[in-house]
Amino acid sequence: MKRVAITGLGLITPIGAGRELFWERLLAGASGIATVSSFDSSVFPVHLGAEVKEFDPTQFLRRGKPEEMGRGSQLAIAAARMSIEDSGIDLGSYDPGRAGVSMGTTSGEPRLVERYNDVRKAEGLEAIPGDFLPQYPCNVIPSHIAVEFGLHGPCMMIPTACAAGNYAIGYGYDLIRTGRADLMLAGGADAFSRITYQGFSRLGAIAPERCQPFDKNRKGMVPGEGAAVLILEPLDAARARGAKIYAEVLGYGVSCDSHHMTAAHPKGDGAIRAMSMALEGSKKTIHDVDYISAHGTGTPTNDRVETIAVRTLFGERAAKVPMSSIKSMLGHTMGAASAIEAVACSLALDTGVIPATINYETQDPECDLDYVPNQARTTHPQVILNNAYAFGGNNASLCLARYEA
Amino acid sequence: MNPRVVVTGVGVISSIGAGADDFERGLYSGMTGVGPSQLFGEGAITAEVRDFAPQNWLGPKGLRVLDRSARLACVSSHMALCGAGLSQADAAEGDPGLGLICGTMFGSLHSITSFDWSGLTEGPNLVNPMEFPNTVINSPAGHAAIKHKLRGVNSTICAGLASGLYALHYAAEFLRFGRAKALLAGGVEELCEESFLGFRKMGATSPSGSIKPFAADRDGSVLGDGSALLMLETEDDARARGLTPVLEVGGFGSAHDAHSTSAFDVRAGGATSAIRQALEASKIGPVDVACIISGASGSRAGDLMEARALRSVFGDLLDDIPVCAPKAAFGEALGASGALCALAGALALRRQTAPPTAGFIGSEFGLRLSAEAQPFQGKYVLIDAFGCDGNNAALVLNLRT
Repeated sequence: MKRVAITGLGLITPIGAGRELFWERLLAGASGIATVSSFDSSVFPVHLGAEVKEFDPTQFLRRGKPEEMGRGSQLAIAAARMSIEDSGIDLGSYDPGRAGVSMGTTSGEPRLVERYNDVRKAEGLEAIPGDFLPQYPCNVIPSHIAVEFGLHGPCMMIPTACAAGNYAIGYGYDLIRTGRADLMLAGGADAFSRITYQGFSRLGAIAPERCQPFDKNRKGMVPGEGAAVLILEPLDAARARGAKIYAEVLGYGVSCDSHHMTAAHPKGDGAIRAMSMALEGSKKTIHDVDYISAHGTGTPTNDRVETIAVRTLFGERAAKVPMSSIKSMLGHTMGAASAIEAVACSLALDTGVIPATINYETQDPECDLDYVPNQARTTHPQVILNNAYAFGGNNASLCLARYEA
Repeated sequence: MNPRVVVTGVGVISSIGAGADDFERGLYSGMTGVGPSQLFGEGAITAEVRDFAPQNWLGPKGLRVLDRSARLACVSSHMALCGAGLSQADAAEGDPGLGLICGTMFGSLHSITSFDWSGLTEGPNLVNPMEFPNTVINSPAGHAAIKHKLRGVNSTICAGLASGLYALHYAAEFLRFGRAKALLAGGVEELCEESFLGFRKMGATSPSGSIKPFAADRDGSVLGDGSALLMLETEDDARARGLTPVLEVGGFGSAHDAHSTSAFDVRAGGATSAIRQALEASKIGPVDVACIISGASGSRAGDLMEARALRSVFGDLLDDIPVCAPKAAFGEALGASGALCALAGALALRRQTAPPTAGFIGSEFGLRLSAEAQPFQGKYVLIDAFGCDGNNAALVLNLRT
């Protein structure tokens, strides 16, 4: 099996696009959360959203046309282009049949469904345009990336909801380490959608004022959008071309709670098994892990259960391992979230600084770990677990490590 | 040495039969599931699962919250688990090594559209929050996991028409890596008013209401739905359970045309490459393939592309290899069709007979299709699945001897 390096980071998020701006703002504790602007939120009891502002897809599309694809695909192509540029690779030097795409999403292109219903309501079913359907199935997102960049290798979407980014990076890692691909663009993308908003609003899960993961007074999550794409390639190939290596992918673990469609297992059963499997596959133990990128949505249940899971698996060591949630700044970018968090983990390993959980004020007796409150911290992490949990009881943990040349 | 992955159970529900035996009888009888729709009323032609009564397998409880795709997935996973002797119904908690890899294309399109429609027409504060979880694309897999106590990996795979084959390969790899003990793998797709209308608006469905793979007068697909899941295990695990596995999951190939996300690339580069990779990964050559299960569904461009790919890989050998295009029987079941085709391939190998292609009269491309069953002798069957999003996949199944 080959070792797998992360050599390019591209992303577009509610706090900014591109590796440098994202990292600068993330470490400064910037917030991308504001009043929803892409639809009228006055019909909802809550109004916060984490949208990507001022996004101009024409800046990123060379081959595809923005009007011929949904916003999820546009965001994904933007992240992919930034990732390729960041990595310095020359796509022309790769066998295109061995360069592929692996993406994750929660909803794919939900705005096409919104448009379908808007037309249906205004003009009736027969007025539905013929181009509604072909751009809806979520496989179009990786396919658009393949078309945009001329990639002929494996191409797949893993729509495992809010854990999808980790699943997709994991699949890309598998293809590289087994030698089935030489280059993988792996990540996640989701577009802001009134459907998602309506759902979380009706579940009473959206925070009314702030996103405060792990705080005693936390009141919920904030739906968001974005995309991240990581460049994965064999470590030896990356070294041979003198590439900047941000981090190494050591392994990942996945599991299912098999308990409830929306509520986590109360004892964190699946979350514990996903972390254990990730560590086992990475040949690491809890004693090696020195930072956890939390799923940390900010809902009372998620944060309590994730704390229980980490406490159960790590035992006494749990309190010594810093664990922060960047969703406090970015909101919950759905299927993109764990891919964006994987970018943050890669940068933490590369720069030695871990991002904070902002809006943290009051300790919750049920959440008693080190959540890196409010200030980014220099800790020089060596091994990181990136947690992601999802509807359907899905859990995925990715294990990344610092690479020393 | 890579562990071998074998098939130890089958779950299937389709327009031509529910359950492995019923499906096999339907497929080999030459019948077609194409006919009047119960879902869309007067005049609509589909190959949908008719008279679908999930309670026959799942009992009456807990069905109300499941949409059609979740019901289809729950039924086929129930069958495959029972068939493989791995049902967790009596277990206090499910085996953490047991999981589900489910291919789909539209997932929960009807549920997400309805949920949004309710918000638009009744107001967003009156929608039923219980319906929200059904809007995520992995909802069928999530519901099946809860119903059947599947605690291992629970992936949903979307690769267009190639979803089912990608899912089978993904599952086989997970087993080879030792990340699971036994995995249900395949696909599910529901037919709903949105996909039915959308395909008609696109001009992808047959105006004549017939599905004629490779025929000169083919005029499009007829949409079907259903679910097929194969229970996969490593051969060692299956033998340890006292089974003597017959069917092995062989090599897989995939390639994207990088040409368009909504039109077939009739130069067939990706399709050809996917087939070649699948043979290479199986360590076999074209001469070893005894039967081909084609994903052709009556598309003008798609069938042309597939015929070109097959010809460029197999050359003159193609004149002697029996080909079956089973979508003539169960329709274009989208994300489920790759898995339904794989099941047809599994049956063909076991019976050493290619299934009939329902209603076949003639091919424009000189392929050896037939309205009758075609006997053969051989160990390897090739299944292909190519989509107009540019994604292409091929999978080999082989007899374990």
